[in-house]
Amino acid sequence: MGSLNPVESGGDLGFLATRVDFLVNWGRKNSLWPMPLGLSCCGIELMAMIGPKFDLARFGAEAARFSPRQCDLLVVAGTLTWKMATAVRTIYDQMPDPKWVIAMGVCSSSGGMYDSYAVVQGVDSILPVDVYVPGCPPRPDAVIDAIIKLQKKIEREDPLGRLLHGPVEKADTGSGQLVFQPNEGVLKSSLDRHAHDPESRSAGVPLGTLIAERPRGHTEVRP
Amino acid sequence: MSATRERLSAALEGLAYEFEAPLDGMTTLALEREVLREVCLRLKQRAGFEGNTLVTAVDHFPAEPRFEVVYQFLSFQHNDRVRLRVRLREADAAVPTITDLWPGTSFSERECFDMFGIRFDGHPDLRRLLMPQGYEHHPLRKDFPHHGIEPDRLYRTWDKERRKEWEAAR
Ligand code: SF4
Repeated sequence: MGSLNPVESGGDLGFLATRVDFLVNWGRKNSLWPMPLGLSCCGIELMAMIGPKFDLARFGAEAARFSPRQCDLLVVAGTLTWKMATAVRTIYDQMPDPKWVIAMGVCSSSGGMYDSYAVVQGVDSILPVDVYVPGCPPRPDAVIDAIIKLQKKIEREDPLGRLLHGPVEKADTGSGQLVFQPNEGVLKSSLDRHAHDPESRSAGVPLGTLIAERPRGHTEVRP
Repeated sequence: MSATRERLSAALEGLAYEFEAPLDGMTTLALEREVLREVCLRLKQRAGFEGNTLVTAVDHFPAEPRFEVVYQFLSFQHNDRVRLRVRLREADAAVPTITDLWPGTSFSERECFDMFGIRFDGHPDLRRLLMPQGYEHHPLRKDFPHHGIEPDRLYRTWDKERRKEWEAAR
């Protein structure tokens, strides 16, 4: 069975494996169901994005559901406070795999202008994030661009290997280190380790070590 | 002497307080904690102040007495306002509650307790209002650092407990 794994088999994939992967990824990327998590002002732009003018339905992601059990894309739109963090993490845990996260706006990407005791300095302190969208608030076009980027990322995933070998053990300790993500397809920069996060700061790992030391899972970038 | 002052002087006869003249021109009384409840009672019953608009505090760190609790009341029938100021020492930062006179002050007092750590004795439900329950510090105190003290501690504790439960359930 291991021969179906692109990493173990050195990229020598069977015809069936590639086609099934393609089909599953095609289905997943064109039917993202977002969980709209409008925490503050960015939520308004999120509504605009789903509404008729920007029309997210063109990308198959307009079916916003308010139950995390039905969603696979968490859009964190707004300022996340430490008081709310437990709720957001619970919502993330309640979403069925596979799931992806977009950090919309500077507040959820890095804390933004709220450099204070109450605000989480980037949701990657508590969740693994796939795409960050800068802007305060980002225009709906920017978030649609993020969704297209996410679709490209989903294209490169390896659902069959995941099915055969079981889900990878997540190095998701909520420490903001982002060492490895289950659905990772795009190499991240070492700067993704969040500088504000106290655990990664006190861990004393110098920046730039994470990519090299990252455990190789079965989801890797394909040429 | 303005009409408000006259009305107040008549209502508060026999109590210890002082008139002050702040820059914004609002009628202001400085008084001690011991007479606060009596003053509030008379403001409501004799001077016609039906509404409380504000309960907050000022931190004069590192001066002592450190805190100053500020109340503002509004009279609809006379269309005027009054402000009370009570200075408190840090070691004994507590005032009697006035929620029984103006039930709406409940939330203001909870906020003041949350942000400054001033106790309101006799408050029926003195929990934090803004910060999470279990948080140990009072953010609007002047000696509270801008970035907070371990702002993520409660979250991390919750996270660890939860993961322990998962491990046990496995
Ligand atoms: S990024 Fe700007 S618009 Fe978005 S939640 Fe933060 S402050 Fe509001």
